[in-house]
Amino acid sequence: MRRAPTGLILGVALVAAAFAIRAASPAFAGWGVPDRAQDTITLALSVIIESAPFVFLGILLSTVVQVWLPHGFITRFLPRQPLLRRACISLLGMFFPVCECGNVPLARGFMVGGFTVPESITFLLAAPILNPITIITTHQAFGWGDGILLTRIVAGFVIANVIGWLFSRHPNPDSLLTRTFSASCAVPGVSGHDNDQHEGHSHPPGARPGRIERSVDLFTRETAVIMPALFLGSLIAALTQVFVPRSVLLALGSNPVWSVLAMMALAFIVAVCSNVDAFFVLSFGSTFMPGGIASFLTFGAMIDVKMLALMRTTFTTRTLVQITALVALMSAAAGLLVNYVA
Amino acid sequence: MSPRAVSRGTTPRKTPRTDGLSRYLAERWRGIGLSLVVVVATLWLGATGQLGLYIHPRYFIFTTVMAGLGLVFVVASFAFRTRPADESRPAGRPTGDRTTAGRRALALGGSAALLTFAAVAVLGLPPATLTSATAIQREVNSGGLDSEAAAEEAADLVGTGDYDRLSVKEWVSLLAQSEDPALYADKTASITGFVLPDAADPDNVFYVARFVVTCCAVDAQPIGVAVYQPGWQASYDTDDWVQVSGTFMSNPSSRSADSLAVLPTTIEPVDQPSDPYVY
Repeated sequence: MRRAPTGLILGVALVAAAFAIRAASPAFAGWGVPDRAQDTITLALSVIIESAPFVFLGILLSTVVQVWLPHGFITRFLPRQPLLRRACISLLGMFFPVCECGNVPLARGFMVGGFTVPESITFLLAAPILNPITIITTHQAFGWGDGILLTRIVAGFVIANVIGWLFSRHPNPDSLLTRTFSASCAVPGVSGHDNDQHEGHSHPPGARPGRIERSVDLFTRETAVIMPALFLGSLIAALTQVFVPRSVLLALGSNPVWSVLAMMALAFIVAVCSNVDAFFVLSFGSTFMPGGIASFLTFGAMIDVKMLALMRTTFTTRTLVQITALVALMSAAAGLLVNYVA
Repeated sequence: MSPRAVSRGTTPRKTPRTDGLSRYLAERWRGIGLSLVVVVATLWLGATGQLGLYIHPRYFIFTTVMAGLGLVFVVASFAFRTRPADESRPAGRPTGDRTTAGRRALALGGSAALLTFAAVAVLGLPPATLTSATAIQREVNSGGLDSEAAAEEAADLVGTGDYDRLSVKEWVSLLAQSEDPALYADKTASITGFVLPDAADPDNVFYVARFVVTCCAVDAQPIGVAVYQPGWQASYDTDDWVQVSGTFMSNPSSRSADSLAVLPTTIEPVDQPSDPYVY
């Protein structure tokens, strides 16, 4: 990494140009965009503007954990008894509320630093739900009504620990990882700790960048993964809202079983960050049964198209299929429980 | 990575170095570019008082502060340039075959298309409120109101006798509590909203409608007060903003689902308010 004053000038110039285009945008009012297309953009933009600050916050906290805290600072205080240790690990998100995207590089760093594979999986599944930002935003959206928030918290804890326990019974947990994980990272340079060299990174001795530069580098890499997913997810969400007739959603949403399955499928495709997914699903609150909402918030926080792509950098496809099936079954069970019992 | 370094690494067959460079470019500028678009749009909307077109006011400060922080990181990303980590590709994987080249081209093309779309949609198009297209898609008066709080607020205003201060939201809340015509007989409504046809009787009845927003526009729910005015389409278009004054009566329309409607004494065209949603 090296300093480039021309880069700074270029960056400032691009930002100024973007402001100029934005300020001139009223002149484009006569483009005559059809109402439905205009509403699609308005809806997508509302999700993006609502979600982006939380995404930035997640990346900044992730940077603090990965760059500014000493390596091993977290793991040294954990108990040794496996069940208790995994239970504590599943609550780590309360202290480090990075979103699920930031959890993947963090979990890889944990494994290099001494976590077992099942412990890493437990953290990956629990942290997106059991963290203060997710809990606060879910409470803002739904309060304690219909048991949605309580189901999300309890199901997140139980599912993460059950799956962690199941994989701890595996005779060779290391076989759950991709062969190249220990030698390289498919997202190179993500971790900012000094263990990068163990992961095959190529900083020459004596040329290691400073923490500020590593923080900026991490921001660049994280946004490269998260922002496209945020845009595409928001666009799909907006298209769904504008073009799928509400009557179809109503028909699905009022059925105890279909409301759960439909919302889980939606969560898988939309891939909204768990920190803000409660806001997204709020508009379905009057359409879908509470169990469907609870399943969306449980399943979608753990598994979606974006998370599978990220997790594939570390885990084998077979492992991901098993994790996805287990999370789906237990999330559906939680949703059905809410619909039929609560 | 300078252009000279690119040319040094170029060979007729794609090498790990150029492959790493392509991935580096696709990954690096995709995130920074999209972040730049979002933070600039957010800060500009905040500065011009238009954030309310997209999100609830309670998030204005947090959103603006985080967008400011995001802007700092975006600019810093241009100042601190990292090398592409081309040496870190896992061993044993081919890097120069057609499949890899195709994926690389797809990634680059996809990133460019996404950036272009984001720049046009987020920066180029003027900010806009939701239209009747979304209101029609969602059932009017099917949700969106915190009934208890809105009803209490409306009841307080009714108690003062100052009915002109009752907005669409308060009237809808009152009508949800009771549709007894006697209760509304001596009350004049003066309400502002956009024109939304009643799907059941579009020739004779339209709603003076607003969107209720809980968190952001994606959760907006349309609410409206029915207005009985046969042939209204001759004077007004759907989505026009109007101020309607009139008294409530039993809805003469047999097809409309609303049992009460406003019989207007005046319908004045007005500009769209700067804050078109209600909360």
